[in-house]
Formats: sequence, structure tokens, C-alpha cells
Amino acid sequence: MSAFLQAQHLTRRFGGLVAVNDVSFEVERGEIFGLIGPNGAGKTTLFNVMTGLAPPSAGALIFEGKSITGFAPHRVAALGIARTFQNIRLFGNLSALQNVMIAEHIHTRSGLITGILGLPPAPAEERRTRERAREMLHLVGLETRGEEKAKNFSYGDQRRLEIARALALRPRLLLLDEPAAGMNPNERNALSDFIRRIHDQFKLTVLVIEHHVPLVMGLCDRVAVLNFGQLIALGAPAQVQNNPAVIEAYLGN
Amino acid sequence: MMADFFSTYGALLVTMCTAAMLALSLYLPLMAGQLSLASPAFYAIGGYIAAILSTKVFGVPAGSAFPLPLLFLEMALAGVACGLLAVLVGIPALRLRGIYLALATIALVEILRVLSLNLEITGGAVGIFGIPQPFPNTTSYLLLVIPMLILSALFVYRLEQIRIGRAFTAIREDELAADAVGIGPTRHKVMAFALGAILAGMVGAVSAHFLNTWNARQGTFDASINILAYTLIGGSRTFLGPIVGGMALTALPEILRAVAAIDGLPAWLAQFLKDGRLIIFGLLIVIGTIKFPHGLITPEFLERLRRRRKP
Repeated sequence: MSAFLQAQHLTRRFGGLVAVNDVSFEVERGEIFGLIGPNGAGKTTLFNVMTGLAPPSAGALIFEGKSITGFAPHRVAALGIARTFQNIRLFGNLSALQNVMIAEHIHTRSGLITGILGLPPAPAEERRTRERAREMLHLVGLETRGEEKAKNFSYGDQRRLEIARALALRPRLLLLDEPAAGMNPNERNALSDFIRRIHDQFKLTVLVIEHHVPLVMGLCDRVAVLNFGQLIALGAPAQVQNNPAVIEAYLGN
Repeated sequence: MMADFFSTYGALLVTMCTAAMLALSLYLPLMAGQLSLASPAFYAIGGYIAAILSTKVFGVPAGSAFPLPLLFLEMALAGVACGLLAVLVGIPALRLRGIYLALATIALVEILRVLSLNLEITGGAVGIFGIPQPFPNTTSYLLLVIPMLILSALFVYRLEQIRIGRAFTAIREDELAADAVGIGPTRHKVMAFALGAILAGMVGAVSAHFLNTWNARQGTFDASINILAYTLIGGSRTFLGPIVGGMALTALPEILRAVAAIDGLPAWLAQFLKDGRLIIFGLLIVIGTIKFPHGLITPEFLERLRRRRKP
């Protein structure tokens, strides 16, 4: 049986800069997979390559046995790969509820005419979209704040809302880009528990970029380390932690 | 009294309704974040379709009223033609963003204007005259344009609440994030652009009959800017904005004229109100954009109204 997600020799160049350089790895179904590395190592670019925002210059991406190399972002999303962004990209002027409702798009079918005239399946879909969005807000603890504008939320709440929006896609693979950035230790612990909870509840496979090493070590089944666009280590957290190349990348020699 | 009012202001009321619909035709692509100034191009095409069909194709005997079903047929054809052209033009043009898309749509307006000035079928610089009348007088056009305005307003109102409209809004807010949650930006941008084109085309078909004559002056860059002003001053974040903006700015010159006619005004002021209309118009646009950067009618304004009604 082939792996859930296979990255084969992924490379992404920006002009003369090679942001991701010949990176290959496999992610197994159901694991929590960490991606760490110093600033500028190419972690976010690798996420962008995997979600279609920055198609690979070379290499292939296989999801559940099928190639998704070069797919546009919305097609990647429709296949069940959801993500959050390092710099949070919510629909700021819309309410929290609307933010999550928008993500139900791929699970609904009603078009322009049925929607405008309120013909089936539009009314039932609208109801379901609203219900599901409420459930997602409840899941992240924002159920009482559905009508507030997303841009008025605190930093941490915006992160939670973005996760709710990603979960509304009902993905099988969830990519989290620095979900704990700017959080205090208590919030980080809560986040770690939360990720584990949604992982179990939705039978998710999770890929997480994180700077905070203890969080990654406690949360992830396996960890990959990037440095200057290259994969320098891959394995169980304890193993990676003691890898000389990793220590050198983080501390210098 | 009522009859007097309608005979004096009937034509103005019709123009207010068509202006409101043209403003809506610009608002539709704007819902998906696309600033298109192409409405006059589609308006002109719709007008030419109606003008050519009614004067050269449908043989309606002079003196008898132009049959309404034929007018509806012209509107339908204008809508279809403009929608198809919008899809063809939109697929490459909507790759451009912001000001570049606006420039490309201005180019479309110019190309069509020059074409219509030089083609034989559009009557060249003279245009097309004697477009037959379906109604006995201009005021009766209200019977057509008021239902049209109500229907198009209802359409946009509903659109703002349904799945497709949410996809438009998501693209307006953040195209990349919309893409990442499964909303194909190109498809929805082209759809929003085509909807605006269809509406502008249908309005053009009616206007050709209403104005009795149609020529290259109908679809110009000036018209693009006017329609943009309707939407920006009225408010570009709720469908009521363009409607209010289109109606108010179209009525404004006539209101100024009426105010100037009030007895007892100093002569210079009356003169200024009558002749300085463009200056006043310009000042209002400047003051409007400073005092109400999001337009007169905003979702927040509507929310406040709603709260005040039921405290």
C-alpha cells in the first residue's frame, strides 16, 4: 500500500533562489507530522507547494495514490487538504460565521438560479451550511461570537477561527502553519491538546510547522527538519533531536 | 397634480431607474472584488442590438406601437450576447488585478465606441434614428423599468445571501484564502463580470427605445466614470448603495434646476445653481469621498437603522 502523501523530489525556485530543494518524504495516514527548521528554511514554501499556491518547479506530489502536482489551490482543497496560514488570512470584514460558511462551498452544489429562486437543493443546503458552521465555531469555542467581524478578534481567536474554517472543509489532511505563534505557554498547551483532539475526532492526518520545539516534540509522531530548503533529518522526535546535523542547523558550528 | 408631476419628471424617473441598474451592473463584478468599467460597453451593445433589430429586422409598420414581446426578445438577445462577450473577454481580462483590470475594461469601451463610429451596421457617426416606440409616451416606460429595477435589486439582494454570492464576497475579501478553501477564483470572477454585462446589455436595449436614437455617444469613458461615481458615492458594500447613488446623482441636476427656480433667490445664486451644475457635482464627489469614504449607504449604516427601529 502506498503512503497517504508522498513528496517526491519537490523543488521550488524563485528566480535564482532555491527555496525548496529536492525534498522527498512520505506521510502516513493518521500521523501527526512535524516540520521544523530555522527561519527561512523553506517550511512555508513547502506548504505552499503542497497546497498549489506555489506550484513546484520540479518534483511530484502524490496524495492517496494520485498525482496532484500543479493542481490549483481550490482543487487541492476539494480533494481534502486544508491549511491555515502563518500570517492568518481570514475574510476580515465578514462575520466569524460567514468565514466558516464560505468553507462549506465545496460540500454544496446549488448554483446561481436555484440559489436566487430558493429552489431545491438550495434551502436545505443553506440550512445545513449554517448548522455546520455553528458546529465548527462551537468546536473552537467561538460559538457565542458568530456575528462579530473576524478582524475584531484577538490574535489567538483569529487563529482558532482559521482552524474552524479549515475544518469546515472536512479535510483528511490538515496543514497548520505555526499555529502557536504568539501564544503564551498556557495557550500553547491548550493548542497542543486541541490539535490532538481534532486529530482523533476527525481521523485527521496533520502536518504542522512549528518553531516551539517542546511543542513539536510532545505532539508529533515524526518530525522532518528543513535547512536552506533541504531535508536534513526525518524521524521520531527524540531521534531527530540528537541528530548532529539538526543541532548544527539550529546552533551553528 | 400627479399627472403634471409625471409629465414633467417621467423621463427623469426612467433615467433614474436605468442609472440605478447600470450602477448595479458595476456593483456585480465589484462583489467579487473586480473593478470593471465595462458597463457602458455592454450597455451600448444592448442598445445597438435593439436599435438594429427594431429598425432593420423586425418589420413593424410605421405608426403602430412596437410590440412588447419583441422588446422582450431584444432584451433577451442583448443579455445573451453581452453575457457571452463578457465570458470571452473576462477569461483573459480577469487575470489582471485592480487598476489594470479597470484599464482593460476602459479599452473595451473605447474599442466598441470606435467600432460603432466606423461600422455601417451601427450607422457610423450618425447612429440609428427613429427607433420605434412600444409606449405612447416616455413616462409609460416606467411600467417597464420599475419592475426591471425591482427584479434586478431582488436578484442582487438574494445573491448576497447565497452560496455563489458568498464565494464572490470571499474572493473580494482575500482571493488567495478563497482559493485555499476551495473557491475557484476565475470561474466566479467571470460569472460576476458576465452578470453585470447581462444587466447592462438589457438596460441598453430598453434605453435605445426610450431615447429613440442610438449612437456612439452612449457608451463612452464618461459614462464609465459616471457609473463608477454612482456606486462609490452610493456605497459599494451593499446593493442599496448603487441604487441610491444612481438615482440621487441622476436626479441632482434637476433638483438644482428646481431649486434655482425658487423665487427670491439672489440672481447670482440661481445662475450658479443652474449653470454650475458640473462644479457642484464635482464638489459633491470630493466631499462625499472624504466624508463618506465607503459611500452613503453602508452595511453598518443599515445595521444602525435596524437597531433604531427595534430598540
